[in-house]
Amino acid sequence: MLVELLIVFALMAAGLVFLVPDEYAGQFAAVLSLVPVGVSLWMYSIFDGTGNALLEGGQPAFETVANWITLGPYAISWHVGLDGVSMPLVVLTTLLTTLAIVSAWTPIDERESQFYGLVLFMQAALIGVFAALDFLLWFVFWEAVLVPMYFLIGVWGGPRRKYAAIKFFVYTNVASLVMFAGFFTLVFGLGDSISTLGLPAIAQALEAGQLGSVGGFGPGTVKLAAFAALFFGFAVKVPVVPFHTWLPDAHVEAPTPVSVLLAGVLLKMGTYALLRFNFTMLADVARANAALIAIFAVVSVIYGALLALAQQDLKRIVAYSSISSMGYVILGLIAFTPHGVGGATFQMVSHGLISGLMFMAVGVIYNETHTRMIGDMSGMADRMPVTAGVFVAAAFGYMGLPLMSGFAAEVLVFMGAFRSTTIPMAPLFTGIAMFGIVIVAGYLLRAMQKTLFGPFRLETDYEIGRAPLQDVAPLFVLLALVIALGVAPDLFYRMIQDAVFEVTALGLGGGA
Amino acid sequence: MVPAEYYLLLSAAMFCIGLFGILTRRNALIFLMSVELMLNAANINLVAFSYQWGNLTGQVFSLFTMALAAAEVAIGIGIILVLYRNFADIDVTKPTTMRW
Amino acid sequence: MVSAFEFVPAIAVLPLVSFVVALTFGKWMPKKGALAGIFATAGSLLISIWTALTVAGFLGSETAYHEEIWTFATGIGTFDLHLGVFVDPLSSLMLLIVSLISLLVFVFSLGYMNDEDETGLPRYYASLSLFSFSMLAFVFADNILMAFMFFELVGLCSFLLIGFWFREDAPPSAAKKAFLVTRFGDFFFLIGVVGIFATFGTGLFATEAGFPAMAEQAITGEMPGPVSEFLSAVGMGAQQWFTILGLLVLGGVVGKSAQFPLHTWLPDAMEGPTPVSALIHAATMVAAGVYLVARMYGFYLLTPTTMAIIALIGGFTALFAATMGVVKQELKQVLAYSTISQYGYMMLALGSGGYVAAVFHLTTHAVFKALLFLGAGSVIIAMHHNENMWDMGGLKEKMPVTYWTFLSGSLALAGIVPFAGFWSKDEVLYEALIHGLGNPVLLVAWAMGLLAVFLTGFYTFRMVFLTFHGEPRSDTAEDPESVRWNVKLPLGILGVLAATIGFINMVPIKKLTGLKIDFLHKWLVGSETLNAEFLTGLEHYEPILKNVAGIEASYIAGSEITTLLLSAALSLGLALAGVGLAYRLYAVPEPVEHTKKLGGLRTLLMHNYYQDEYQVWLAEGVTLPLARVADTFDQGIIDGVVNGISSVSLFSGDRVRRIQTGVVSNYAALLTIGLALLLIAFGIVGGWF
Repeated sequence: MLVELLIVFALMAAGLVFLVPDEYAGQFAAVLSLVPVGVSLWMYSIFDGTGNALLEGGQPAFETVANWITLGPYAISWHVGLDGVSMPLVVLTTLLTTLAIVSAWTPIDERESQFYGLVLFMQAALIGVFAALDFLLWFVFWEAVLVPMYFLIGVWGGPRRKYAAIKFFVYTNVASLVMFAGFFTLVFGLGDSISTLGLPAIAQALEAGQLGSVGGFGPGTVKLAAFAALFFGFAVKVPVVPFHTWLPDAHVEAPTPVSVLLAGVLLKMGTYALLRFNFTMLADVARANAALIAIFAVVSVIYGALLALAQQDLKRIVAYSSISSMGYVILGLIAFTPHGVGGATFQMVSHGLISGLMFMAVGVIYNETHTRMIGDMSGMADRMPVTAGVFVAAAFGYMGLPLMSGFAAEVLVFMGAFRSTTIPMAPLFTGIAMFGIVIVAGYLLRAMQKTLFGPFRLETDYEIGRAPLQDVAPLFVLLALVIALGVAPDLFYRMIQDAVFEVTALGLGGGA
Repeated sequence: MVPAEYYLLLSAAMFCIGLFGILTRRNALIFLMSVELMLNAANINLVAFSYQWGNLTGQVFSLFTMALAAAEVAIGIGIILVLYRNFADIDVTKPTTMRW
Repeated sequence: MVSAFEFVPAIAVLPLVSFVVALTFGKWMPKKGALAGIFATAGSLLISIWTALTVAGFLGSETAYHEEIWTFATGIGTFDLHLGVFVDPLSSLMLLIVSLISLLVFVFSLGYMNDEDETGLPRYYASLSLFSFSMLAFVFADNILMAFMFFELVGLCSFLLIGFWFREDAPPSAAKKAFLVTRFGDFFFLIGVVGIFATFGTGLFATEAGFPAMAEQAITGEMPGPVSEFLSAVGMGAQQWFTILGLLVLGGVVGKSAQFPLHTWLPDAMEGPTPVSALIHAATMVAAGVYLVARMYGFYLLTPTTMAIIALIGGFTALFAATMGVVKQELKQVLAYSTISQYGYMMLALGSGGYVAAVFHLTTHAVFKALLFLGAGSVIIAMHHNENMWDMGGLKEKMPVTYWTFLSGSLALAGIVPFAGFWSKDEVLYEALIHGLGNPVLLVAWAMGLLAVFLTGFYTFRMVFLTFHGEPRSDTAEDPESVRWNVKLPLGILGVLAATIGFINMVPIKKLTGLKIDFLHKWLVGSETLNAEFLTGLEHYEPILKNVAGIEASYIAGSEITTLLLSAALSLGLALAGVGLAYRLYAVPEPVEHTKKLGGLRTLLMHNYYQDEYQVWLAEGVTLPLARVADTFDQGIIDGVVNGISSVSLFSGDRVRRIQTGVVSNYAALLTIGLALLLIAFGIVGGWF
């Protein structure tokens, strides 16, 4: 019942915050959001799930199944549970929500109660996405995330907020449609062999090779088509090049706290779903097309990094580098080795923290200077030493500095990918992808040198001072988490390994 | 007994006359009359089939249709009055503001 | 009795504590955090000494130590990653060097930074402590992943300290360059690390389970299972694949140890405070690369190609950097190029099979180069931070302690008997010569190294004469600022060491007289357990050198003594010739810039062979435009397609909505047509016709 508690509490908190007057909404929302943090950490400490929730022998923790509606031959149930993959992501979601709320205190100064209400509503939906084990339930949460996000960008965003919000909404919704169609092709193909839309049932039926033909197409074609549709649907969310162009616009226009959640959690929905659907349910198709997917991954890494190098807007830099970092996740997933898939999952959490940290650091500078353009400022370290220090730490975290979580994630992905027998010429692919660590150093060092160091200069008319404590405190919390996970990745990595180990053996022989 | 085909032919003819009226005339009142013709064409169908099968449902249904038609005429004439008030005409091609 | 080995982690943890203390409380502490660092590094030094004594066998029979202390990431069905401690003669020697020099640099910083009223001192001491932590942990790392991790952290500290004066333009730029260039090397290193883990399933340096031992087995004996599995997946032979791995790791070494072609960052790194240059960019961090090669020497010995490349890079860098050192005008620049050159010697030694010689030169160099940099720091304090040697002169009388210690360091650097540098450099060249007689590649490397000896002698004493001799050439040089004990004490200690540390391994004397005074050699030969169990002793390496790498010693005229004497005479003679030339040209009251006589060559040398230019061009002339093209492509084509789709929808919507004319008759007509079409469609499908 703890998962329900999290979701229901977040929904109720959202409703309450809507009613609170604007002046208190921020503080009130922050206090309320501490409850899910506490609950999720407590859940983490008593976590007793074993194996992968979708596969035979896996036993998710905090599982509840209740019949909800019956749709034709299918029973749709309220089926939630957490395994080693989703538990860390739920913790990430609750933590980042609280920190994003605190970091919103300074920049958000209109319609506060609605803002915080939407953030909390989105938190409920996000937890639902990671916990749901029934397809329709999962899809409801998946779509429910989009609505608050649309308003958060469209109402509180920058000058081109409408364009960005609509682009985000339409793009991801089209992707959802394709994904939905793809998934139901599978469901129809499975025919009588499943009686629920539960993800474990579907995964196990597919694994047992019970897929039949749909509309005259054989199981192989159906699988391939479904895989392609699902991959497109999730690749937009991740985003994988070339489906990424909504991301920079959304990030640039979104207010900082929203960027934090967008990069920190929303992108992980895509990779999480890829892991659950494409790489678990359809592992054999993934293996058969490993070369192509690895090319997608490597192109995302290198191309995303190159784009980041060309940007002048700090937020755009971080946005593009997210694309690059997500490329590593894809590379790790397609490797089908324990460290590859485990490292990819760890990278989801790690990137959530680090990109959140990075966006917040940019946000704090923006709050004081009201500009994000590299050319408009220099020597900020002189006026904002603490912020600059955290910015440097965050940037090095992003570059994969050892003893910070990014390094652990990346090195695990590389080790997994290098050994992969699925990707042809795995060492070569891995080596090329690793060049990303040089480019990332290039653009972040350049950005730091130009904005933080050198003689002080600011092109805007604002009097800048040190950032207030409420702006900086979330940065320190995140930094501490990044370092903690960097020193002891096993905090999450052990449960992740437990959950993904089975996945790496999938799709080798069995299946249709 | 007159076979149902004749009724159907009659009803089809009435329907087509009504349809023709709607497609070609501009006067709103003639519009209303044409609609009335089409509705009654449907009524004839209902009654004819009801008579053929010896089932009263069709006749009951046609009563409903008449009541509906009466209501429709009331509203239709109301609309025509408003139309006249605003455009000083009851030509249906004049008011084209509700487009795009 | 407690073993020192259990306290080895504390050697690194102490500076880590001091990092945290200096960062958080430094602002309120006396000396702004320096004391924390001094106490921490002093503690590290004591434990290092204790450890060294234990390794030497004075305190019990256990003389080497390996322990996994922290599981980093658990793998299920695959290997784990962990952090661990490995102590053997090599690492305990390096621990000693690093903690000693760290301590001295902390003390010196009191004079260089605190007495000069610098701001941001807590940051300075915190970075310095973090550096000591990372470097020490790097040294006792038991596997290559841990080594890489701390290797990178060391790079971070270097970045922070080079860019210490961030309010100016040059230091942040130099810091960026240093990190980026070494990152480029580390990119290859990381591929190497990942490759080693992927191939062997372990990154351990030592023991039978370590990767050098597995690689040796794969080449000489039976191939271990996982290795053959991976090799067949890659489709390469063991020798070939190990060469690739070795070269990849070498990328990191070349970057960090500032070898050609990734040496360009080191001269720029001199923008940092001078004590930092002494500690990081001369004595310790730059040594990390060379140390790494020595650490996994058992692996490199297996691939003769890699050995030859190491030797060639080393010999070439030694000569190449020395030529640039000849024309520099700034004190620290000369020292920077001499550092690059000296690390070239160590690489030369390692590549030509002179393991002991390399470690020996690493040790002596650490001492005398730290000394020289600290001496330069003392001069810079005196000169009010003017580093141009042409503004100095005549400082000899005004700062005698600095002068005499600096001279001791210079004699060591130039390789004049009996100062430290002579013994080690001589051994390097001797090893390269005897192994090169049967191997032309090594011989070429040796010849370049030998030529560099002359240049070293020349630029070193050009620097000494310009700085300390002759008449003062500026007002500040007339009346230099005085320095206090905290500058003189480290100088004194290092000055004595620079003169004497060479005595730890006087191989020529041993060979001539038969006295067993090659202590370092014996130290590195190690105990029986070291060779049999840990496999990192010299006795383990020697057979591999001969049998697998195929590097064998041969002697001129078949006589070891003749070769020895010839080699020593040659290097000493060249060094003296260099010193003599410098004396003739610059030891005059009013020296002039003779470099002008070099003409076009001088321009070339002053521009460092345009190495910077092409690397900057690669970054700014190739990568940045490429990124801009990618950006244009992204905004134009990819986003263009996305926006194009939306434009097409909007456009077609705009056209289609024109059906909505507003004329009721049209709607009625459409309805009718629609109905008719539907009827016809149903008719066709339903078979009515």
